[in-house]
Amino acid sequence: MTPALEISHLRKVYRSGTVAVEDVSLTVQPGDFFGFLGPNGAGKSTTIHCITGISNPTSGSIKIFGIDAVADYRNARKLVGLSPQDFNVDQFATGRNIIDWMGGYFGMPKALRRERTAMLIERFDLVPHANKPFRELSGGLKRRVILARALINDPKLLVLDEPTAGVDVELRMDLWRYLSELNRDGTTILLTSHYLEEIERLCRTIAIVAKGKIVRHGPKEDFFTEPGGLERAYLAATGKTADHAAVAAR
Amino acid sequence: MTVNWIGLWTMVRREIQRLWRVPIQAVVAPLISALLFIFIFGFVVGGRISSIGGFRYLEFVLPGVVMMNVVSASFLQATSQIYFQRFQKSIEEILVSPLSYVEMIGGAVSIVILRSVVTALGILVIGALFGAVHLHSLPEFLFWTIFVSMIFGFLGIIVALWAKTFEQLNVLMVFFIQPLSMVGGVFNTVSMLPKWLRWLAYANPLFYFNNGLRHSMIGFSEAPAVIGVSLTLGLAAVLGGIVWRLYAVGYGLRE
Repeated sequence: MTPALEISHLRKVYRSGTVAVEDVSLTVQPGDFFGFLGPNGAGKSTTIHCITGISNPTSGSIKIFGIDAVADYRNARKLVGLSPQDFNVDQFATGRNIIDWMGGYFGMPKALRRERTAMLIERFDLVPHANKPFRELSGGLKRRVILARALINDPKLLVLDEPTAGVDVELRMDLWRYLSELNRDGTTILLTSHYLEEIERLCRTIAIVAKGKIVRHGPKEDFFTEPGGLERAYLAATGKTADHAAVAAR
Repeated sequence: MTVNWIGLWTMVRREIQRLWRVPIQAVVAPLISALLFIFIFGFVVGGRISSIGGFRYLEFVLPGVVMMNVVSASFLQATSQIYFQRFQKSIEEILVSPLSYVEMIGGAVSIVILRSVVTALGILVIGALFGAVHLHSLPEFLFWTIFVSMIFGFLGIIVALWAKTFEQLNVLMVFFIQPLSMVGGVFNTVSMLPKWLRWLAYANPLFYFNNGLRHSMIGFSEAPAVIGVSLTLGLAAVLGGIVWRLYAVGYGLRE
């Protein structure tokens, strides 16, 4: 079966000379819920930027459902939805417009855009806030708009870069339910998060990245064979101190 | 692959909504500026000049006023549009979409042309109120308005991709475009200049743009059309090629 995402020896060096991604190779199978873990600056977001077209890879290859994300970027991007870490929107535009415009960029006809925008606004409880400027929304509401925007084109591969950062418990639980439903319906999801509980609860496969390299990769169960579970495995894989690991083991 | 017309139209639609938030800056300011130029140069100064090439001074100046505003509207539209999107990172919405680089540029330049044409037509309406509007050739008028908008739209995009601060956006406008615009035959014919200074007009691309638009409006020209048309098409092609290349490599767009 063609993998949903196949990254081979991805390397990204910024103009400043900073090596953000040293050598990342990973495969995400269709229908998987894939957790991508790592400390700040490990290269998670840069990898996501390379997958989605926000960054140019320096070398290596990225294939989305078998389509080269650089050479055939138009077809590859049709299959992807991105919820980035930053609020990368026109801050003065309304949530409804932000969602609708993204549908437009994807070439969706007006009737379909309207239908899906209305559905997503309803699904993310944005009805009373949909016509307010984005900058006037709370952090949680902004996050919902960003998530709704990522789903407007009904992507086969959904990439979520810390989607629950700064949101309240209620929304987080609601979002977990929704993502699980989406995944059950066949959407492949790549999720980065600093909440290990989130990764543990949602994902079936986990990769840990540190200093621009994949340091551990496998089914979720593999991370729970040792005492301390995912937390200890994460700290050990990222080279954190023994003290941290000992605390995690308690 | 087919053109993503819905995506292109969405880019235009989004930008129209953005401009709608700043109507004074986008629409009213150039019209007031044009009105002042028409009043001062057309009546206060123009009242003391009998005629130029057989035309009232106001009729002679009006095409230059239109061109000055087309140039500044297109450059400002392109710089503010792209830099604003870079500043807010909303340019990433375009980058992650299945729009081709040509479509991304086409969407940005379409709104530049639209704004310039609207500005030009607004000034013509004001000019008509003063009885100073002639239209010798509508296709010529559209050619000059559209292609000059494209040239300064492309230049604006290049500057917006390069700029690191808002201050840098104005460098080209303040030090090159405005001075060249002013001395590009807006207010005078080349024959009114001292002989030793005439080369300056002929070496100034904006002279050919003013001259072309003036010909389209009142049928008065001081340079062969082939030079102006070739220069305009050449500049549009070269600058368009540079912008395409910058998009393809991600200069100023992708990290």
